[in-house]
Amino acid sequence: MQRVNSIFTSGPAALLLAFLLLGALDVSAQATSPGPPSQPATREVVDEMGRTVRIPLSPSRIVSLAPSLTETIYALGLQDRLVGDTDFCDYPVEAQKKPKIGGIINPNLEEIASLHPDLVLVTKSINRLATVRALDTLGIPSYATTDPHSVAEIISSAQKLADVLGASEAGKSLGEELQSRLAALQAKLAAVPPQRVLFIVWTEPLISTGQHTFIADVLRKAGAVSIVESSQDWPQMSLEEVVRLQPDYLVFASSHSESAARDFDALAARPGWRILDAVRNRHYAAISDAVNRPAPRIVSAIEELARHLHPEAFQDSPGPDKEPAPANPAPSSPPRSAISSFSRTICARSTESLCAH
Amino acid sequence: MRPLTLGRLLFRCGILAALLFVVVVVALKMGAVQVSLYGLGRDLIRVLLRQSSAISTDYGMIVLDIRLPRILLGIVVGASLSVAGASFQALLRNPLADPYVLGVSSGAAVGAIVALIIENHLALSPELAGLITPIGAFFGAALTIAAVFFLGRRDGHIDSSTLLLGGIITASFLSAIIMFLMNTLAGSNLRGTVFWLMGDLSTPQPRSLLYFLSFGFLVAAGAIYTTASDLNLLLAGEKEAMHLGVDVPRVRIVVYLAASILTGLAVSVSGAIGYVGLLVPHVMRLIFGADHRMLLPASALGGAIAIVIADTLARTIVAPSELPVGAMTAMAGAPLFIYLLRRRLT
Repeated sequence: MQRVNSIFTSGPAALLLAFLLLGALDVSAQATSPGPPSQPATREVVDEMGRTVRIPLSPSRIVSLAPSLTETIYALGLQDRLVGDTDFCDYPVEAQKKPKIGGIINPNLEEIASLHPDLVLVTKSINRLATVRALDTLGIPSYATTDPHSVAEIISSAQKLADVLGASEAGKSLGEELQSRLAALQAKLAAVPPQRVLFIVWTEPLISTGQHTFIADVLRKAGAVSIVESSQDWPQMSLEEVVRLQPDYLVFASSHSESAARDFDALAARPGWRILDAVRNRHYAAISDAVNRPAPRIVSAIEELARHLHPEAFQDSPGPDKEPAPANPAPSSPPRSAISSFSRTICARSTESLCAH
Repeated sequence: MRPLTLGRLLFRCGILAALLFVVVVVALKMGAVQVSLYGLGRDLIRVLLRQSSAISTDYGMIVLDIRLPRILLGIVVGASLSVAGASFQALLRNPLADPYVLGVSSGAAVGAIVALIIENHLALSPELAGLITPIGAFFGAALTIAAVFFLGRRDGHIDSSTLLLGGIITASFLSAIIMFLMNTLAGSNLRGTVFWLMGDLSTPQPRSLLYFLSFGFLVAAGAIYTTASDLNLLLAGEKEAMHLGVDVPRVRIVVYLAASILTGLAVSVSGAIGYVGLLVPHVMRLIFGADHRMLLPASALGGAIAIVIADTLARTIVAPSELPVGAMTAMAGAPLFIYLLRRRLT
C-alpha cells in the first residue's frame, strides 16, 4: 500500500503525461514556424485602435466579423471580395448567403482559417479582443474599427475602410453621396424647431441613449433632441424621470413598419406609461433598425426619422428624395416580431451592443 | 474488496489514458474542416519527422494551431478541476463540494475584470496584453484563497465547516462585486466577461501559459497525492484519523492550498466551467471506489476526458457557431447529477 503511494508520489505516470503534453506542444510549435513561401505585396496601415497592421495592397478575401462592416462592404460595392461573415449579418439579403463563421463574440476560428482570408475586419465595440489576438497568433491580418460617436465618424470610418481595401474612389463617392443627402436634409429642417424625444433602446428596464453615442447624433441630424442628458452611453432611466421630462415623441427601432403600431401599443399598455403625453397622443416614431448599426444605411434611417418627426418640412417636395429601397429590410428577410427586435437590443445593452451593430 | 496494488492502479490508469487518447484523436478529427483519420496519422508522422512543410496550410493552421492547443488546454483544465473537486469533497467531507465552493472562481472573475479595466488604461505590448486576463484572474483567485483561509481558521487550525461558510460568504460577496463592476464600469472590453463567466475554452492561450499550467498542475496534484492515504483515513472521521497518526492540520493546509491553486489555474484560463469538478470524482468513485490513491489519478484522467468531449460538442453541434463549454457541461452535468442522487437514495 505504501509502495503504491510512494511510487506515485514521485510521479512517473504524471511526468509521462506531462511529457506527452509538452511533446505534442513542441510538435505544434514546429509546425507553426515555417512562413508562407511567397508573400504577396503588402503595406502597413494603422487601424482605428491604433494598431499597426500589415495587410495586402488590395485585400481580395475579406471576412467581416460585424454586421455594420458587412453593410459597409456592400455599400462600397466590394461584396465580391467578402468570403465570409457572421450569423448576424442579415443586410443586405445577399449577405445572408455568404459563408458563415459563427457569432460575433464567439466566431469559429477554424471556420475563419478555412476560408483563407487575407484580411479580417473587426469592430472594437462588439468583437472580443481575444479574437483579434487569436487571429494575430494565426498570422491572419485584422483591421479594427472603433465605436463611432457621430454620423460624421461613421462616414469617415467607412471612407477609411475603403482606403484600406484599396477602393478609395468608391469610398469617396459614397462619402460624398451621404454628405449631400445629409446637407439636403439639414436645409429642409433648418426652419423647424427640434422635437424633444425619448429614444427607447429597451423597455424593461428602460434604457435610453446618452449624449455621446452615434444614436444621439442621429437624433440631432433628424431634427430631434434627446431628453436624456447622460454621460453614460446606455443609461437606465427611471419612469419618474421620463414623466418629469415629458418627451414630445417616443422613438424606437422596429424591423417592420407594420409591427410598429403593435410595438407602440405594447409600450402604452405598460403600467405607468399612460401618464406620458406622448403616449396619450400616440406621438411615436418607429424607425428602421438600421439606426442600431453604424453603417452607411444610417443616413436612410435619419431621413426616415426626420420625415416622421417633421412631416410639415417635407410636404412641399415629396418627389426628389424619395426613400431609397434599403431603408426598410428587404421583403425576403424573415419577418421578425417586435419582441425579437427588442430582444436584440437588450442583448445589445447587456453585452454592450453585442447584436445591435 | 481486493487491495489496490501498483499493478492494478497502473492498469486502470492505463485504460483511462487509452480512452483519453481515443477521445483526443476523435476531437482532433472533428470540426469545421474535416480531417480523415489517415490524413491525421500521416500528417502527425510528418510533423514528428520534421517535414512539416509537406503539410497543407489548412491542416497546419487549423488542426495544429487551433484544435490541438485547445484540446491540450482542455485536458489540463479538466484534470485540474476534477482533482480539485475530489480534494475538496474529501477535505470538507461534503459530497456537494466542487472546486468553486470556496469562492475561487468569483475571486478569479473579479481579478479578470479588474485586469480588463486596467488594460484599457495601459498601452501594453500585445504579448503582455494577452496574458493580463489570466494573470489578473490568478491574482484574484490567490487573494480569495488567502482570505478564505484566514476566515476558515479557528484557534490556529482550519475548521472544515468554518472554511465552507467562509468560502460561501466570500463567493456571494464577490458575485455582488462582479455585478457592480459589470453594471457601472461596462466598458466595451468587459463584454467577453459574460462569456468568460460561463466557462470557455475557445480563446487560444499563449503557449507559455500552457507549459506553466501543466507544470502547476503536476506540482499541486503531486502535493495532493502525497496525502492520498491520509485522505482515506480522514473519511473515517477527523478524530479517528488523528488517532491513526495522521497530521490532520498539515493535511488540511496542503490539500486546501493545492486544490485552490489548481482551481485558480484552471479558472484563470477558462473561466468557471461547472459540474466537471463536482461530478467526475463522483463517477470515478462509483467505478473505482473511494480510495484516493486510485480516485485522484482517475479523476484527473476522467476530468480530461469529460472536458475534451464537452468542448468538442460545444464547438461542433451548433457549427459554425460555438457554445461556451460551460453551457455544455451544465447541460450534461445537471441530469447526471440528479441521476446519481436518485441512485444513492434507492
